[in-house]
Amino acid sequence: MRWILFIGALIGSSICSREKFFGDQVFRINVRNGDEISKLSQLVNSNNLKLNVWKSPSTFNRPVDVLVPSVSLQPVKSFLASQGLEYEVTIENLQIYHEMDNIASDFPDLASRVKIGHSFENRPMYVLKFSTEEGVQRPAIWLNAGIHSREWISQATAIWTARKIASDYQRDPAITSILEKMDIFLLPVANPDGYVYTQTQNRLWRKTRSLNPGSPCVGTDPNRNWNASFAGMGASDNPCSEVYHGTYANSEVEVKSVVDFIQKHGNFKCFIDLHSYSQLLMYPYGYTAKKASDAEELDKLARRAAKALASVSGTEYQVGPTCTTVYPASGSSIDWAYDNGIKFAFTFELRDTGTYGFLLPANQIIPTAEETWLGLKTIMEHVRDNLY
Amino acid sequence: MQPRRPPLPAPGSRPWGPRPAAPLIALLLLLSPVVAAAESESPQDPGQPQDAGLQRRLLQQAARAALHFFNFRAASPSALRVLAQVQNGRAWINPKEGCKVDVVFSTERYNPEEGEGHLGKCSARVFFKNQKPRPAINVTCTRFIEKKKRQQEDYLLYKQMKQLQNPLEIDSIPDNHGHIDASLRPIWDLAFLGSSYVMWEMTTQFSRYYLAQLTSVRQWKTNDDTIDFDYTVLLHELSTQEIIPCRIHLVWYPGKPLKVKYHCQELQTPEEASGTEEGSAVAPTELSNF
Repeated sequence: MRWILFIGALIGSSICSREKFFGDQVFRINVRNGDEISKLSQLVNSNNLKLNVWKSPSTFNRPVDVLVPSVSLQPVKSFLASQGLEYEVTIENLQIYHEMDNIASDFPDLASRVKIGHSFENRPMYVLKFSTEEGVQRPAIWLNAGIHSREWISQATAIWTARKIASDYQRDPAITSILEKMDIFLLPVANPDGYVYTQTQNRLWRKTRSLNPGSPCVGTDPNRNWNASFAGMGASDNPCSEVYHGTYANSEVEVKSVVDFIQKHGNFKCFIDLHSYSQLLMYPYGYTAKKASDAEELDKLARRAAKALASVSGTEYQVGPTCTTVYPASGSSIDWAYDNGIKFAFTFELRDTGTYGFLLPANQIIPTAEETWLGLKTIMEHVRDNLY
Repeated sequence: MQPRRPPLPAPGSRPWGPRPAAPLIALLLLLSPVVAAAESESPQDPGQPQDAGLQRRLLQQAARAALHFFNFRAASPSALRVLAQVQNGRAWINPKEGCKVDVVFSTERYNPEEGEGHLGKCSARVFFKNQKPRPAINVTCTRFIEKKKRQQEDYLLYKQMKQLQNPLEIDSIPDNHGHIDASLRPIWDLAFLGSSYVMWEMTTQFSRYYLAQLTSVRQWKTNDDTIDFDYTVLLHELSTQEIIPCRIHLVWYPGKPLKVKYHCQELQTPEEASGTEEGSAVAPTELSNF
């Protein structure tokens, strides 16, 4: 059969580590008879393609949902075509949401997946909540990722970190003691529409995908849309700009969902936003060059975190307030968090410093996540010991 | 003291690349105390001690501009350098004329080989003219790749390019996951070399460019053995976060100066930046045919 050749080709080619979650698709395949079911089973059972059946057929004429990793897309499509099997691609890349679900079911006493809202194009916004005590609104940490969709190392680091938190609880004394006192909320894909767009249409898309009335240009910069000197310096009122702030603060439903959740909770002490690239660890403010009142403490903490991060692979980060370290930026998430009583507010600009930029190779995902983890832990430990 | 509003470029004059209006005004606001001090000094005077963050940013900016220029002038795709660390330097700001920066920095090889940890060292004087791109640059770097080795590697790259099948069926380099196939690496290096010219020309004291992705390549047959190719790059400008597509046409032969023509698209405004370079940055020179 022809598909044996496809599998052979796959064995020959290099398959990246499964830590990369992008580009996977869910195929909904129509199977009409027993013969087709058995052919499909053979395909699914072949280990090399790493297919994952989500919904098996119980009778004929009902579709089978199969998760196809990106590396297997071509051979699977060719196989289906050669067998005359009808299929449609249903949902683009659900892998991060699927993994979140896996973490929640693998660690049911610690982790749960919570829907906090939806995107402009109606995709769900999911956070993972890590909590060792129910029913109590503990002081909490918010980890934000993927607000700028092209910064793929951000979403990747976040989902790696999610599993790290879950697996290291009760193994690593640091994260264990943090979780004994505080809850952690992790939003790996803060801009799901943008993220899908980077996988299907434009790898370098940054903003949301909301429509701008009267303009051919789509999207608002979600990190200029928060209510912190909204429409101030370091943002644009031109919808075609990559730093367009939007029509009003929280106009973007993705931003509003987070704001509403955090305000309703009322007990967040720390907000960390993951971006790329430039290797910077920054604290407020972006909207003004004036020093934040806690600047000294935040600076000291950031330096310790950067040092811990560097201890893993020697990756050097620069530290400082946003405005003078990278550029002025109004309406940013951490400025809003800080001005709303969340003292420990930081932005990480992850690897690298421009060689690959947004297109960081997959083999740098785990090293980046591992070093960032030490930086995050340094901050979270300090928060744990300095609750206010 | 009122910060100065930058005068808009006259129509028809060379625009200075994407205009980061808001960050520019913001940076001018930051410069205000500095402006006040510098006004009373003569242009040659170092002036008052300036905000440390501003100094650091200007030194980095100057180092990057100097490196783009250096890479372009060296015209060697196997000896491309990237910034490792700014070591020291000084920036002088004159609100009427612009910004003069002396900077010393270390570099590393863009394409390091196994076990290679060489750090080269460069010193540069960079002059950013107010509201004008194409900073004037004087840069010297210590050699860290032996000349003969560099020539051999350039020649090898040249051979690889010549052997590539035409038309090149390439989607993008790197692919969306940051991967560059070994067989396509020569194209990428040559594209980076050509882009260095473009990025040098477009860099100002405020705007900083990076090469994000190569999205189309076409190699032309030549009668004279040169490498002649057309490609599109996506440049990323940091302060505005804009992605700027540029069509670049370059002609190269190992050991010879690089010839570059380009045209960049301004997405927001109707203005477009374009330029031509016939091999010398200081004065246009006629290139003899080789």
